[in-house]
Amino acid sequence: MTAAVFENVVKDYVTRPILRTKIAAVRGVSLTVPVGSTFALLGPNRAGKTTLVKMLLSLAKPTAGTINRLGEPIAARATLGRVGYMHENHAFPRYLSAAEVLHFYGGLSGVRSEDLPAKVNALLDRVGLADRRRDSISGFSKGMVQRLGLAQAILNNPDLLILDEPTEGLDLMGRKLLREVVRETKAAGKTVLLVSHVLPEVEELCDDAAVIVAGKIAFAGKLRELSKGRNLEAALQDVYETGATR
Amino acid sequence: MNLAFAIRTISWMVRDTFRQSLATKLFWVMLAITAVCTLFCLSITVTGETPPTGAGYDAGGFITPEAAKAIGEEKVKADGLKVLRGEVSFGFGLMTVPINRYKDDAVRYVLIWLAAILADTAGVLLALLWTAGFLPTFLEPQSATVLLAKPAPRWVLLVGKYLGVVLFVGLQAFVFVAATWFALGGKTGVWDATYWLAVPLLTLNFAVFYSVSAFLAVASRSTVVCIFGTLLFWLLCWTMNYTHVRLQAQPVEGMAGTAVLDVGYWVLPKPLDLGGVFYDAMRATGFSAPVPELDAVQKKGLFRPELSVLTSVLFALLVLLLAAYEFKSTDY
Repeated sequence: MTAAVFENVVKDYVTRPILRTKIAAVRGVSLTVPVGSTFALLGPNRAGKTTLVKMLLSLAKPTAGTINRLGEPIAARATLGRVGYMHENHAFPRYLSAAEVLHFYGGLSGVRSEDLPAKVNALLDRVGLADRRRDSISGFSKGMVQRLGLAQAILNNPDLLILDEPTEGLDLMGRKLLREVVRETKAAGKTVLLVSHVLPEVEELCDDAAVIVAGKIAFAGKLRELSKGRNLEAALQDVYETGATR
Repeated sequence: MNLAFAIRTISWMVRDTFRQSLATKLFWVMLAITAVCTLFCLSITVTGETPPTGAGYDAGGFITPEAAKAIGEEKVKADGLKVLRGEVSFGFGLMTVPINRYKDDAVRYVLIWLAAILADTAGVLLALLWTAGFLPTFLEPQSATVLLAKPAPRWVLLVGKYLGVVLFVGLQAFVFVAATWFALGGKTGVWDATYWLAVPLLTLNFAVFYSVSAFLAVASRSTVVCIFGTLLFWLLCWTMNYTHVRLQAQPVEGMAGTAVLDVGYWVLPKPLDLGGVFYDAMRATGFSAPVPELDAVQKKGLFRPELSVLTSVLFALLVLLLAAYEFKSTDY
């Protein structure tokens, strides 16, 4: 069973529609994310990591290739109800309160209306926003919005949790909370796909990894195979350089 | 995706739109305008029960009671002149206007002015302007990505947001009509139930043009483009509609381009015709229409209200389909 499968996936973005100028963001990626793994997607900036995540979430369409999500082709949107997603720059509607944000996104995720109040209360308590539940999020700091984003991502008890630069803006307690969530998800036999530049966090949480450089997979396998006992940063540096010259 | 989930998603989006309208204060701004109009209605007093003396309600041929006295009763009758005997006062008696109509007609005149001129033109344009930012805000990539990563298809989210805005404007139209109807009815004792037709007609008029705003929002994600694009489109449609009506009222022999005009008229929404439908519904043919050419077309029997409404609705549906297709194809 796989949580995500990419087969020969290509993604070109058209940047100037009239001149048909294209940017190749992903170039023939084949990758498998096994169920139950805590999988790190690593790579330099603009390597194509977020594009892969967006295609997995049906936010962007692949130009070529096929993608499966939780055993189904990505066209089957129902599987998105079993996915949680948190990214670095959350911008929830500013007119909502913290509780309203969770009710709204929980409802759209397919969480039953009768289950929502209890789940929302428990999660707000967990992410440390219980006392701000009725406050408009327009007055929230970035860290508070990120905590809310984390609560939103796990509200539907997802089988696949996708975290794209999740620690951006989080304080120490927030990071600790995030690590707890990842460990709990893993312990429940579910999958976490983590996109991050924070290597200590990756080393601490992840077992598997793929490194993408210039839109191509430069490494895929166990994280320990990547580092080979060395410092992960140095190992990644080598992969980035090798990948870039391929 | 099953129907129950689609309905549930749409209801979430509708609820979200109402929250948005409250947070942006638009809800209260529109209610405040209704309150001002209601106060205006409460300030109106109508006196006199003069029945129409001639055939029809033509505006000419009437004189003030003082003039009638000077002319003499016999001559007034012999010349078929109508004498003004009633009064409408506005602003709690600040301004008084003599009337030569039934009291019912005077009240109907005010209702038509409120619904057809104020609400159906100025109100709809202002609503289009004020709600233009709702969809672009919702489609901003940073907030849309989490929403679009939910299982609901994009077209359902778009339809939910569109319906939310239309229902919000529909609710405001309902409150406006109800408040002004009760205020004027309570003050004058005249209860004209046809005025309530303004609610569906105002909402329909708004819904047709808001579909264009929705398409522009999906294509550009810009509030400015939505505002100017929709208002320019409304102007284009009004001009097309007016030109077509005018040429129907006063045909110009051998004029080139009438086929193009016909196609444009039937394809595009018809704001003028929608106003005409309301005029008909209010039995307002005796009152001066905002566009006299429409009167002439109606008298010639060339006005096809059901086709005007149908084609306008079809246009809106087609534009919404295009918006849904564009939304589905867009990468976030």
